[in-house]
Order: sequence, then structure tokens, then C-alpha cells
Amino acid sequence: MKIIYFAWIKDITNFHEEPLDSNKIKNLDNLKKYIISKYPNLKKHLDEEILRFAVNQEYVVENIELNKDDEIAVFPPVSGG
Amino acid sequence: MIKIQKEDFNSDEEIYKIKKLHSNIGAVTSFIGYVRDKNNNQNVQSINLEVYKDMAYKQFKKIIDEANLKWKLIDSLIIHRFGTLTVNSKIVLVTCFSQHRKDSFESCNYIMDYLKKDAPFWKNEFYKNKNEWLINSI
Repeated sequence: MKIIYFAWIKDITNFHEEPLDSNKIKNLDNLKKYIISKYPNLKKHLDEEILRFAVNQEYVVENIELNKDDEIAVFPPVSGG
Repeated sequence: MIKIQKEDFNSDEEIYKIKKLHSNIGAVTSFIGYVRDKNNNQNVQSINLEVYKDMAYKQFKKIIDEANLKWKLIDSLIIHRFGTLTVNSKIVLVTCFSQHRKDSFESCNYIMDYLKKDAPFWKNEFYKNKNEWLINSI
């Protein structure tokens, strides 16, 4: 399981990508708790619903279960086009 | 056809490559997005476009499939660039090909609306002395 960060989220985490322990992180809520404990500066963005989550390249809002081969992405609102 | 690339492209050539495959095409609608020189009352020098490529391909395919269910499309094309783009550079081309204009107009607009709202690209805009991450207004 791995997590990827995009845009200004990377300025907070200082990583583009990091591995996750799938024994500890079982669902999206676990993941949210993990990232805000590791990167406290993400908390206000999570609380303000700025952060977007994708699992295996699909947007996710619900607290879904995560599996060991999942690719999770965390990013801010988009600005393409 | 979906392309996510750093390089510039020739819109006419890209459209013609598809047009020549289908003689039943009667209507072609395109949207081209460019980097403009002013934004939020500031002089823009360039933008850096970041992309989550795997997700962008997957989501573009999905939106094209949805457009095909809603309209009678013969073909469609999305080209979205990433990396550093200077003022006047093309950012995106969306082209929809159909027999009649209503299908191509409406589907092109639909794909662009999706693209602005959900496609995983992020613009970091550079001015003379600073830079700023942008958020799309829908």
C-alpha cells in the first residue's frame, strides 16, 4: 500500500510518495488519522474539506476498506483545463 | 483518443487525423484552453501544471464513455499538457466528432465541465516575484 501527494500538499509532507503499513491502516478513516498525526499541518485542510482522496485512481468519499495493494492519493481541489 | 503530454501539439493536424478516419462526420466542436497573460490582477509569466497521470487517463476514459452514452458521438479527442507552459501556450484540446452539431457542441461542453471540476491536474501560476496554486472556479 502506498500514498501519493500532489500539488501544495507535497510542500507540507515533503514527500511525493511513501509506503503505508497495511496492517495498521485498514480503512480511509485510519488513513486520515495517520496523515494528520504525521503531518499536523494537514489537519485544518482536512477539517475544512479541502483534501481530496482517491483510491486506485477513483475518487473516494466514504470510509472504504483499504487493501495492501491499494494506491491512495491525497490532493487539493483541481485546476486543470 | 486521449493524450497527456508535455509537448505542444498542432490542433488542426490532431483533428484531421481523426476526421479522415470517418467520412460520416458532419460536425466537429473543439475547445482549446491557453495560458493567458493576466490572472487575478497579476501578470502571469508561466504556469507549472502537475498531473496525476494514471488517474487522469482513467477519468478521461470514464468521461468519454459517459459522453458516448448521452450523445451520438463518432469519435472524441482529449489532449492535456503538463509541465512548464508559458503565456500563449496551449493547455488543453477537447474535440468531439458527430454527424450533427448538437451532439458535438453539447458533449464537448460536458467533457470540459468535467475536466475543470474533477480532472487531476493542478496549476502553479508564476508571477514576477511569487507563485500561487490555483483552484478552478466552476
